[in-house]
Amino acid sequence: MKLNRRHFIGTAAAASATLSAPMVMGASHGKPRVVVVGGGAGGATAARYIAKDSKGEVDVTLIEPTRRYYTCFFSNLYLGGIKTFDDLGHSYGTLASEYGINVVHDYAVGVDRDAKTVALAGGDSVPYDKLILSPGIDFIDGSVPGWDVTSQNAMPHAYKGGSQTELLKAQIMAMPQGGTYVMVAPPNPYRCPPGPYERISMVAHYLKANNPTAKIIIADPKEKFSKQGLFEEGWNKYYTGMITRIGPDFGGENTSVSVADMTVDIDGEVIKADVVNVIPGMKAGKIAHEAAVTDGNWAPVNAADMSTKADPDIYVLGDSSQQGDMPKSGFSANSQAKVCANAVRGALTGSKVFPARFANTCWSLIDTNDGVKVGATYEATEEKIAKVDGFISQTGEDAGLRQATYEESEVWYSAITEDMFG
Amino acid sequence: MIRSMNFKCSLPSIMAMGVLATPISAEESAILALEGDPDYGEYLSSECLTCHTGETDNYAIPPIKDLPTEAFILALVDYRSKHRENPAMQMIASRLGDEEIAALAAYFKAQQTE
Repeated sequence: MKLNRRHFIGTAAAASATLSAPMVMGASHGKPRVVVVGGGAGGATAARYIAKDSKGEVDVTLIEPTRRYYTCFFSNLYLGGIKTFDDLGHSYGTLASEYGINVVHDYAVGVDRDAKTVALAGGDSVPYDKLILSPGIDFIDGSVPGWDVTSQNAMPHAYKGGSQTELLKAQIMAMPQGGTYVMVAPPNPYRCPPGPYERISMVAHYLKANNPTAKIIIADPKEKFSKQGLFEEGWNKYYTGMITRIGPDFGGENTSVSVADMTVDIDGEVIKADVVNVIPGMKAGKIAHEAAVTDGNWAPVNAADMSTKADPDIYVLGDSSQQGDMPKSGFSANSQAKVCANAVRGALTGSKVFPARFANTCWSLIDTNDGVKVGATYEATEEKIAKVDGFISQTGEDAGLRQATYEESEVWYSAITEDMFG
Repeated sequence: MIRSMNFKCSLPSIMAMGVLATPISAEESAILALEGDPDYGEYLSSECLTCHTGETDNYAIPPIKDLPTEAFILALVDYRSKHRENPAMQMIASRLGDEEIAALAAYFKAQQTE
């Protein structure tokens, strides 16, 4: 056959269309479909970036039970009286109205990996080509003897944002003068490594002003903890004599509670408490286990794109993932979501996929305008997400630097929540 | 309307970056001469936007979206060479090659003219 110019252009256009055709478009349905479970730092970010960058080429459904999301990060500042509860709340309205994301307020209760559908508590079934799970954390049964999830109203964990945070704050405010607050700190690995110790700082900040004879006790199963030198320096400086930490060398790993008696037993020493903040051992959110992409407590993932080792069409972000060196944090989940979104969009539409790169910074507040931070960059290796470089605040820094660090965290909070929710 | 698109460049934001009236170095000139890939820049910019918002009057982390291209490149080069303080930015910039900085500059410039 002799090619004329018109024929050639037509052939080239057809070839080009084939080359750029979405990989899943061979399926019988129309646009490729991404379902995201969990509307926090990982899930909301992934949903927004896929919707934003694909410009309508991909149908994105976000499944999240709560209509208003209260961040766990910065919730300690609410406990300290520095932020209000409203400051922590965010709507999904912009994701729906500006980005065209189908926001479904329901619980995802099951995943059929053969049929590629997600079952909702309300009875519906949502089909997917790619499924992104970002369900945060759940607690390990029996982690703290005497405590289970039915005890969380009497002994709150306040380690998921929202009503638990409000409850713990109310309990702290209701403490009698000279009362006792006990934290049962979690074993590694857990969400937000400096979180329990920033919380201690913020509870102490509140009590110093409102209940200065109160006592704070930490039962801790870990020998050491994140930013330890920085926190201990601050506690000695601002909250002298108020805080006692009982580590494993003094039996802190051998702790149980009695909800009925409001007591904490630390290696045989029984303490009567007014507030008991139990932060149990953690595992991946339940839907990750239901989808059978976990191995033990967490979901192993490939560092290059956050796809699970168990299923190339299911991705796990943030706290639930077992990825290597990154701490479990909102910043990490947000960073992982962008790598995942780029890879998922590329797989579905043929768009460019760039090498994975990750970063994390965790700010913590010790007292008013005394902020510290730790951060690192990471890269994807065959084995894991591997640390490249890092930094941490130093003890003895001057007040101006600490204030600047705290002010950075305020801008970061605005930026990351805008990045998540639009 | 996406809130982050509303920010207009202000003189204080540029001054906060400390980049006015600074001569252009050979390093910056080399980056300016590169043709950055705005798609790559868009991907890389997502790392910036975790911390930088256009909607702030708090310059602890300054707005960057509307910075002039030369000022934007100078800031990253100075952080990369550790001539400017801030451990987080030094760390982020240290793994940006010339191609990455040019891509970021191309992306943000394209956003400004849209």
